[in-house]
Amino acid sequence: MDTITSYAHIKHNQVSVNGEIIFQSYPSLSLPEFLSEAYKALGVSYPKFHKMDAQCKLGFLCTEFTLNGTSFLTENDITKTAIVLSNAASSLETDRVHQHSIDDKSNYFPSPAVFVYTLPNITIGELAIKHKITGENAFFVSEQFDAGLLVNYTETLIQSGTEASVMGWVEVDGTNFEAFIFLAEKQKYTNKNAIFKPLNKTSVITIYNQTIWTH
Amino acid sequence: MSRRVYITGLGMISAIGNNVPESFLSLSQSKTGIGKINHLTTRYKDEFLAGEIKLSNEALADLVKDNNPALNRNSYIAMLAAKEAVINSGIDTNDGLRTGVISSTTVAGMGKTELYYKEMFEKDDHLNVLDTHDCGDSTERIADYLGNVDYVTTISTACSSAANAIMLGCRMIKHGQLDRVVVGGVDALSKFTFNGFNTLMILDREWCKPFDENRKGLNLGEGAAFVVIEGENTLNLRKGKALAEVVGYANANDAYHQTASSPEGYGATLAIQQALTMSGLTPSQIDYINMHGTGTPNNDLSESFATKAIFGNQVPKFSSTKAFTGHTLAAAASIEAVISVLSLQNSMIFPNLNFTTAIAETGLVPETTLVNTPLNTILSNSFGFGGNCSSLIFKKA
Repeated sequence: MDTITSYAHIKHNQVSVNGEIIFQSYPSLSLPEFLSEAYKALGVSYPKFHKMDAQCKLGFLCTEFTLNGTSFLTENDITKTAIVLSNAASSLETDRVHQHSIDDKSNYFPSPAVFVYTLPNITIGELAIKHKITGENAFFVSEQFDAGLLVNYTETLIQSGTEASVMGWVEVDGTNFEAFIFLAEKQKYTNKNAIFKPLNKTSVITIYNQTIWTH
Repeated sequence: MSRRVYITGLGMISAIGNNVPESFLSLSQSKTGIGKINHLTTRYKDEFLAGEIKLSNEALADLVKDNNPALNRNSYIAMLAAKEAVINSGIDTNDGLRTGVISSTTVAGMGKTELYYKEMFEKDDHLNVLDTHDCGDSTERIADYLGNVDYVTTISTACSSAANAIMLGCRMIKHGQLDRVVVGGVDALSKFTFNGFNTLMILDREWCKPFDENRKGLNLGEGAAFVVIEGENTLNLRKGKALAEVVGYANANDAYHQTASSPEGYGATLAIQQALTMSGLTPSQIDYINMHGTGTPNNDLSESFATKAIFGNQVPKFSSTKAFTGHTLAAAASIEAVISVLSLQNSMIFPNLNFTTAIAETGLVPETTLVNTPLNTILSNSFGFGGNCSSLIFKKA
């Protein structure tokens, strides 16, 4: 049975890994401040992080927290590892920044550094670049988190040669943000590992709702 | 469930024509659609060329026969191309079988949003425009326009988007989730895109020259193209006619840089290799490659290396048709799917315009004039920002 082997959730200025909150910052922190704090908490050095837009930072952090302590990247063939993400706002937050820079006649400079991020799948690109994951990738935009879509899509990939998948939801829209990433691996299911869940819609909804946020 | 998936209808609108017959005429006469900017409002009007559709928004609205103010250029052209594909295939969306619409776009309603963007801060008159801003809007409009559609989704993975839409459609048919799918992509030009690509400094001020040693960049284009794909079971049941078969597809990530391809074309090589494996074809069985070939120094070199990695010294005949249409971003892969089917049907390789000198490092020479030759299999490549690389293989039906 295909298996969910690890997951992380970022919301309300908190980070939860496998259902347990492992980092939280003040509720009053803005998104950029929170991202910076979470990056410090993660404790990795990745200078490219600082160039990313908020959505990529969020997706990057959530994925790093999900991967931390797992053997996902060494046990699976990264050329056969997929990345399947989704959100509701596409890249709207960065689109706004880019549009502002076009509109500002006095300070007209539509920066390439911003334009690059005006696509949601750029978030996937950042994860792929970080870990050299070269499998199939897709970014879906849906009104709300759609566990069924992600599970069906990954099951289809697994039937056609994919061995593992980084999946989830990475959303930034104004001050609202949320990331939820889970790792799926072909077969591997054992009920001896309490974190492992069978890859199906019910499990995904369960782990999505598992964290008890403190604020 | 069907194991084989066929293309049974084509629809396309771009700088080289408002429908498939017009596009075929331009292609077979080596007539580019890229020229001076007439419809897009931009400060670069006289500075850059673009592959614009030769119709105003008003003319497009007349063709669609719908004056709903919520529609925009993106949805007009998507609706027109999707409708043409459905009519061409002869399917009836009211016959009780399950029909899907899978469309890709990157620009969505941006062209209209940016027109009213500043005013929106002053007054609420144009806030309804925002309802049409998101990528899914044009797909929903297509579904409404076609009527009785069971499944709708939109894919946005930059310039490989439409290839991924075709892949997803094929899979849903093979897995028995749908009986046929209208798949493709759309991107109308907007200031947003123009300014963005200009800041990346990958626009050529003259006609783009794919695979030429002295290529300077791409010309942006706009367009929409859709194909109807059907499983063998329902196609046989309705005694429909197959135009081509989709025999291979694959998607891989280059994992190198957000807006540049790896020098050796690693992701592209993986995508081509995996599509070949799926098709069961050997490299020597590919008759022609419709290249991504944007005309940027980076893409064409990287794609050339990937091509050599797969085909060695036996590189099949190839060309990029971007110098006809411009780079139409999320529509590119479906426009090139339509062009590939036209190539298979008419035994014609459409030329790689504006080429004079081969790239020194690879020495690959594309077809520069119309070639009449029997074609059985075509590989079509599309690569997008974020390292997203997709390859499709079509076979004559």
